[in-house]
Amino acid sequence: MAKLLMFHGRECPHCKKMMPVVEKLEQEAGIHFEKYEIWHDEKNADLMRSYKPIITPKCGGQLRVPTFLNAETNDVICGEVEFDKLKAWAEKK
Amino acid sequence: MKKRYWRCFICNDVHYGIAPPEICPTCQVLNAYVEITAEEARKFLGGGPNITFEVVDFEKAIERFAAGQEFMVNPEGEKVKTLLQGIFENERNHGFKYCPCRLRTKDPEEDLKLVCPCNFTIHETYRGVANGECWCGLFVRRR
Repeated sequence: MAKLLMFHGRECPHCKKMMPVVEKLEQEAGIHFEKYEIWHDEKNADLMRSYKPIITPKCGGQLRVPTFLNAETNDVICGEVEFDKLKAWAEKK
Repeated sequence: MKKRYWRCFICNDVHYGIAPPEICPTCQVLNAYVEITAEEARKFLGGGPNITFEVVDFEKAIERFAAGQEFMVNPEGEKVKTLLQGIFENERNHGFKYCPCRLRTKDPEEDLKLVCPCNFTIHETYRGVANGECWCGLFVRRR
């Protein structure tokens, strides 16, 4: 199963909106996301920074949250995403 | 062109920029600015009164900032409340009012671009977008 990462911020409204979508996807499709809060945990922030060359070209040149990353394929999606779109992305080989 | 420090010789306002304001915004005197060193600027700025600036002050500041612009503060109050909480937490924990929906790179110059309000009008989430907004959604195109 692919290693899927979600970077999010505690006070980011887009992240708050995406959290139930992610949880629904986890429950319904059995997909697991490793979740990393990046403003209150410096280790998590450093982890996100370590993916900067992969994330920024696909996220307007910046490190933004929420960001979803497939750590095996380096496929990235950022921002608020509809359930179906996120599901298709997460299930993509 | 490099930014420099300037001081109004009448009221000691300090300006940081490529050129000084033609008219001092505080005392309204024409051509009143003289270039000074960074050390002098720090002394003038550091010796000023300690002005408290709470969330409510920032709310007023961004309302004034958006007044008459093509954008406005997001009318969704809960969203704004969450964002302001994050902005102030970031100032407490990381030194500046960083956007809660982005991450510092640890490059000090680069990270100044994340301080709220940022220059969102050039971002792809706002420029040329009918319902454009800044990345975090604190500012939205006026409807």
